[in-house]
Amino acid sequence: MPSVSSLLRLSALVAGAALALSFPMLAPNPYILSAGVVVASYAVFSTSWNFVGGFTGYISLGHGAYVGLGAYGTGLLVIKAGLPSFAALLLSAALVAALAVPIGIASLRVRGASFVIVSISLVLIMLLVFQSWASFTGGSNGLVVPRPFPGLRRPDHHLVFFYLFCALLAVALLSWWIIDRSRFGMGLKAIREDEDKAQSLGTPTFTFKLLAFVASATFTALGGGLYALWFGDLDPVFQFSILTGAYMVLMALLGGVRHLFGPLLGALVVGSALEYFKVEYGSTQLHLVATGLLLAVVVLFMPDGIIPALSDVYKRLFRPGAASIREETAAELRSQAEVRR
Amino acid sequence: MTRRSVETVGLTKAFGGVVAVDDATVAFQDGKINALIGPNGSGKTTFFNCVTGMIKPDAGRAMYRGQDITSRSPHRIARAGIGRSFQLCRIFPRMTVLENMLVAVRTTSLRAQLASSHNRGDIDRARGWLRRVGIDHLEGVEARNLSYGQQKLLELAGVLMGDPETIMLDEPAGGVNPALIERIAALVRQLNQEGRTFLIVEHNMDLVMSLSDHVVVFDRGRPIAAGPPPVIRADPRVLEAYLGV
Repeated sequence: MPSVSSLLRLSALVAGAALALSFPMLAPNPYILSAGVVVASYAVFSTSWNFVGGFTGYISLGHGAYVGLGAYGTGLLVIKAGLPSFAALLLSAALVAALAVPIGIASLRVRGASFVIVSISLVLIMLLVFQSWASFTGGSNGLVVPRPFPGLRRPDHHLVFFYLFCALLAVALLSWWIIDRSRFGMGLKAIREDEDKAQSLGTPTFTFKLLAFVASATFTALGGGLYALWFGDLDPVFQFSILTGAYMVLMALLGGVRHLFGPLLGALVVGSALEYFKVEYGSTQLHLVATGLLLAVVVLFMPDGIIPALSDVYKRLFRPGAASIREETAAELRSQAEVRR
Repeated sequence: MTRRSVETVGLTKAFGGVVAVDDATVAFQDGKINALIGPNGSGKTTFFNCVTGMIKPDAGRAMYRGQDITSRSPHRIARAGIGRSFQLCRIFPRMTVLENMLVAVRTTSLRAQLASSHNRGDIDRARGWLRRVGIDHLEGVEARNLSYGQQKLLELAGVLMGDPETIMLDEPAGGVNPALIERIAALVRQLNQEGRTFLIVEHNMDLVMSLSDHVVVFDRGRPIAAGPPPVIRADPRVLEAYLGV
């Protein structure tokens, strides 16, 4: 018998999905539709980031590297190897997954701030490699990736990719949810809380971290590859940007890393705001200032993100006392003592 | 009951110039309540950490039931049957009491790993242990909101959830009120009667002397005496180590 709250949750889920899928019909013009594709891609990236950031608490600022590798892998496999677009996308993600194993083994040895620095170094190394190896990657002249559906008009192209990103997002969310409720997920969350303690209880922490890391990199690379097929023009400066990783972190933190839909919500807010600022104040760097301010506000006032902040308010308003420890009266304590005697 | 439990041969660990554990050769008895005592800084916790794989010893070997466990990673030592608590009680603060218990469920196959963590079997077992230590009414509370004593009980219940044959407790009575000390001592006795071996680091001498079957005394990183409580109490070397005379 499903409870009221689970029915409510299910209907909210259906409504949210319906709203997302009807967005292309509601979008007034192709430009808004393309902005929707960008926001959907952000949602994929931040949800993918959350496989490692949310579960294990290892904050990677360099996840842009996997966006770039997935994108360039896809583009290069189409152009140099002549693979069909979506075969290239899958193979590229598989290659990134394989690459994430040694990278994970090396970088997951350090914790906290050290891990953040190591993760940043990866994206900077990749930027230098892809800029300098111009004969292969196109360097700063860019790499033009052929479109998978050459016959499509531009608005239809956006439409198709909006749904592709939504499908990828759905798979990522479903995977995150399965892990979240599993014993494996419980182990990952224990790593976030206290890694040594988790290990002393028998959790193979290193293997668990590595698996989460590889899953995260793979989903990120799929998103990056899809972006390459959609946008069609790759430049190392944008693909291997430190900003991409920073946005992923900001979105996930804003929404709430402990929650399935946290990164998605964060991506909706930050992604829309970024697109807005770029349109209105595109010639300035105001979107960076706004991003910085937003990050400061989140860290100061909602350290756990929007979703926990809202549910706290809900609990305080509608279910007072439900969250606190039950008080024990002196009489209860005495009767317990009697029983023990 | 003379099977071997935790043993070390020439175990040594130095931090810079300080030799915390110095060529320690010790054996603890299976099926018994063993205590490890010694003045502050005598290397008890470092010894614990070396045995449980939290730190790698510089030299020497650690064995458990005749099996070499030196430098094995902590989770493999845990899976070999040794559970441990920490000196300054470590729990998962942002998880509920029940979730703290479910972390300790041990599974190996991928299928079992992907099964729901909140399954009936695991939950029932977790509740059983929580009831036994007396905090089952708090299962939905975030662990950080428990009192220190309750956290200690939760840590012990979490260790038991992994069903270890040998339990190493680092100062189970530290910072705990006398009534709770009694409760923990009674629990240790019961669990020992059910066949679990204990290895306890403790400063509370009354507790050590009343609880344990076998006591090992450390001073400056090495064992200076071992035996049943009455023998230890009468040993002049032990008095010297404690009083510095």
